[in-house]
Amino acid sequence: MTSTLDTRPESPTPAERGERARRADLRSRDHVARIVLHVLLLGGLVVMIGPFVWMALSSFKTEGEIRADPPTWWPHDPTAGNYGVLFNRLDFPTYFTNSIVVAVLTTLGNLLFCSAAGYALAKLSFPGKRALFLVVLGTIMVPSIVTIVPLFVLSSNLGLVNSLAGLILPFLAQAFGVFLMRQFIMSIPDDLLEAARIDGASELRIYWQIVLPLCRPAFATLGILTFLASWNNFLWPLVAATTEDKYTLPVALALYAIGQNQTRYDLLLTGSVVIVLPVLIVFIALQRYFVRGIATTGLK
Amino acid sequence: MSRALTGWFFALPFAALFLLFTAGPVVASLLMSLTDLGSADLLHPLGVNIVGLDNYLRLFDDPKFLIAATNTAIFVVVGVPLTMAAALLVALGLNSGLVKFRALFRVGYYLPVVTSIVAISVVWRFLLQPDGGLVNEVLSWVGINGPNWLNNKTYALPTLIVMGAWRNLGFGMVIFLAGLQAIPKELYEAATIDGAGKWSQLRFLTVPMLRPTMLFVAVITTIGYVQFFEEPFVMTRGGPLDSTLSMAYHTYNQFGFGNYGYASAMGYVLFVVVVLLSIAWFRLLRNNVD
Amino acid sequence: MTRPKRRTLLLAAVTAVALAASACGRDSGDGEAEKGEKVAQGKASGNITVWAMGTEGEKLSALADDFMKENPDAKVTVTAVPWDNAHNKIAAAIAGQQTPDVTMLGTTWMGEFAKTGALDVVPPDFVKKDDFFPGAWETGVVDGTSYGVPWYVETRLLFVNKAVAEKAGITEAPKDWDSLTQAVSDMKTKGGAKWGVYLQPGQTGAWQTAMPFVWQNGGEVWDGKNFTLDSPEATEALEYYQSFYKDGLSTKDRIPDGQQEPKLLKGEIGAFVSGPWHIGLLNDLGGEGKYELWPMPSGSGDATSFIGGSNMSVFKNSKNRDGAWKFVSYLMKPEVQVKWYETVNDLPAVQSAWDDQTLSGDEMLKMFGDQLDKAKAPPSIPTWEQIAAGLDTELEKVAKGTESAADAAKAMQAQATSIGTGG
Repeated sequence: MTSTLDTRPESPTPAERGERARRADLRSRDHVARIVLHVLLLGGLVVMIGPFVWMALSSFKTEGEIRADPPTWWPHDPTAGNYGVLFNRLDFPTYFTNSIVVAVLTTLGNLLFCSAAGYALAKLSFPGKRALFLVVLGTIMVPSIVTIVPLFVLSSNLGLVNSLAGLILPFLAQAFGVFLMRQFIMSIPDDLLEAARIDGASELRIYWQIVLPLCRPAFATLGILTFLASWNNFLWPLVAATTEDKYTLPVALALYAIGQNQTRYDLLLTGSVVIVLPVLIVFIALQRYFVRGIATTGLK
Repeated sequence: MSRALTGWFFALPFAALFLLFTAGPVVASLLMSLTDLGSADLLHPLGVNIVGLDNYLRLFDDPKFLIAATNTAIFVVVGVPLTMAAALLVALGLNSGLVKFRALFRVGYYLPVVTSIVAISVVWRFLLQPDGGLVNEVLSWVGINGPNWLNNKTYALPTLIVMGAWRNLGFGMVIFLAGLQAIPKELYEAATIDGAGKWSQLRFLTVPMLRPTMLFVAVITTIGYVQFFEEPFVMTRGGPLDSTLSMAYHTYNQFGFGNYGYASAMGYVLFVVVVLLSIAWFRLLRNNVD
Repeated sequence: MTRPKRRTLLLAAVTAVALAASACGRDSGDGEAEKGEKVAQGKASGNITVWAMGTEGEKLSALADDFMKENPDAKVTVTAVPWDNAHNKIAAAIAGQQTPDVTMLGTTWMGEFAKTGALDVVPPDFVKKDDFFPGAWETGVVDGTSYGVPWYVETRLLFVNKAVAEKAGITEAPKDWDSLTQAVSDMKTKGGAKWGVYLQPGQTGAWQTAMPFVWQNGGEVWDGKNFTLDSPEATEALEYYQSFYKDGLSTKDRIPDGQQEPKLLKGEIGAFVSGPWHIGLLNDLGGEGKYELWPMPSGSGDATSFIGGSNMSVFKNSKNRDGAWKFVSYLMKPEVQVKWYETVNDLPAVQSAWDDQTLSGDEMLKMFGDQLDKAKAPPSIPTWEQIAAGLDTELEKVAKGTESAADAAKAMQAQATSIGTGG
């Protein structure tokens, strides 16, 4: 190795020539890989966003144009009429508030309870741990239509019918959330936690100051998925509300768009655009947590 | 605090809510499946006859149930690996550091997950039209005469499988991205110094470290696919000739007829199937201690 | 509505469970027609809660306001409920004892909900059976007892592309099966349509297209005691249904929701079978004047169509039974029925409402009105939805040609008999 004080340019040794060639080779291979990757992903992207773009464009079309055969892409006569109808007929503020309150509280609650329980299942040992995990896992697998009636009878007996609490509580502890957090927390090295325990930190402190910050990507993921599920939930809010002031957006949308013998696609698609926007906002806000850069494990 | 108490302390809020609101109704519906509860008994649910495993045995005499079970099995066995592989590939691509505008791709690939199934069904129906649809157009360039996909008994289910993979890969991608992010950069640097190439790094570093996330995606996707309902409901109504009838759809129908006991039994069979499949996944992708 | 304290509810629940447990096992029921209790005279008072689906739910408050003007001591609260999964919602409400006073119910749901015992019997002489279309009234009758009052009705006619029919040389609507087949065939060969007619080839709801053929041939779904789905008349009717597919007059592929209308207006299909809501839909697509209506043809029987719609029922545990029935009977006044038509375009179930100029003056509506005199509904049995689904499956096989009409009829009969009437 030449020393850094040596400024005389040297003719490359065979080893160095080989090294440079290899690096150049890698760079051009990188280049090709880059192009191929971009092309593939771009092609996939077009297929992915196509229907969404069509849905958004169709919200500016009339019912007739949406039903056109073959379907059109750009609206012939763009009109904001659908949005007008939806916002005038729907008691939008009420439904939006209900949806937001329920979704936000459900999400925050899940993040807290599922991470705590996930931590216990992943890193702590206690009797009944295995049984609890299996039971939890098992219930994800029961189709929700089957449990709707017993859940409603239970809610009725608890006085939860037609209340926001009744919309939130049954979904505050999602088996799916616990499963996700457990898997993520399992990948946190035990040595890290042992070191903290040796240093005298309580479990609560370890959980709060070490585990939780490391869970940021998991929180982003769980946050998005829980928010999405809660926001789009239709069957339970439908059954659990007995007056319109407790409806959430998906219920209200179905009310105006789906008839006994026909469906209003213009209202349905427009409503779908409106309903999707908060989800997208949450996603865009949280998805930067998927970017590499927060890599710190304290293993130094 | 003793370890056991600590463990329960952390798990308690979740466990309490879960046992009341999730486990409770599940047990109730299990009990329902052992009776001949029908809609006529809604006001007097305890006034039903207990029929034991009769509902379960009846399932195997129900030709529609057997068809639905086969369709669901095909959907899961083909669809889950397909979706996972696609999601993993996209996540690896986006995480490789070679791609610009990552945020755009992340959002774009996630869009099908949040797009209304109605919009999706209209666009896909258009794409799949026998004459004039884009899919058959492209196929004709290579000399293949494409069938009427959604109305064809043989091709309807595979079409829905591809649609399902398309729709759900965003979900897997999101989880895999988080999982990839959690792998410390230092490990890759160390591997590069040790002389490992990109491909070796993928095989021996990335994939093993992704095991917990892969297990998660596998189990959740399997659970989702065993219960697949929306695509057949909106696009083909279970047809043609029940070739896209799924178990969840059949359960939904039975529930709509008011055969609550029978429908619950079907729900439980789904449950057992998923438990078995999950155990299989756990065996396969068990988290080896690093 | 006051909400009792949690403890009281729990106590009530436990007591209820204990009582119910002691009464384990079902009542056999005596199978006799029940008589409704009388409703007191005078104006309505108190709170009345009403559930109604879809647009009807949205707009019902207009009629409720009128009712409240006439009955100042009454307060009507309407909750609009989406059609999507409404059936499940009502079932859950019954189970959880959270039902309103009055609810709208689809005609095919009557049998099932009546059997729960949650519905009140229609009070005699308060709502008069003869005011309504017979087919409509029957939809509310379960086991000889009336549990619901028809509110609005719909029936099915053939919607035909005018230009295609003209080109095919058809001058008047076909009156019987043979002339219908001829007309449809001409629309395909001479009228330029790809498909002379679109009959739904099986799958959900196809029975509403196929069962009328059975009625048109003098057959029945059931005769009050047994199912008669494999009678010679019914088998012939299925053969007639199948003939359209066999002869290439109708496509065997299901046309998805929303695509029928453009195809009709383009002339790709010559005709399809549907109800009054399609008038608005086709006009919205710019089809005004481009289509015409044909009545149902007759086979060996009457030119019968399917009748549907919605009924109004009162729940037994309603706290304001008097007020509830008074509101229901208000909705059945002919002038209110006309006003309702003007509000949401639902066809009145009350016959005398049709004398009003609004309805009798409109040519297309008059055709629906005439057809309503000859329209039937399936039996109001609790198992109807399940039997209908079985019919749909067999109909698909018939349409696609994988099963003969005779075999399908036998299969339908076997399935229906084994499912039973849930009595």
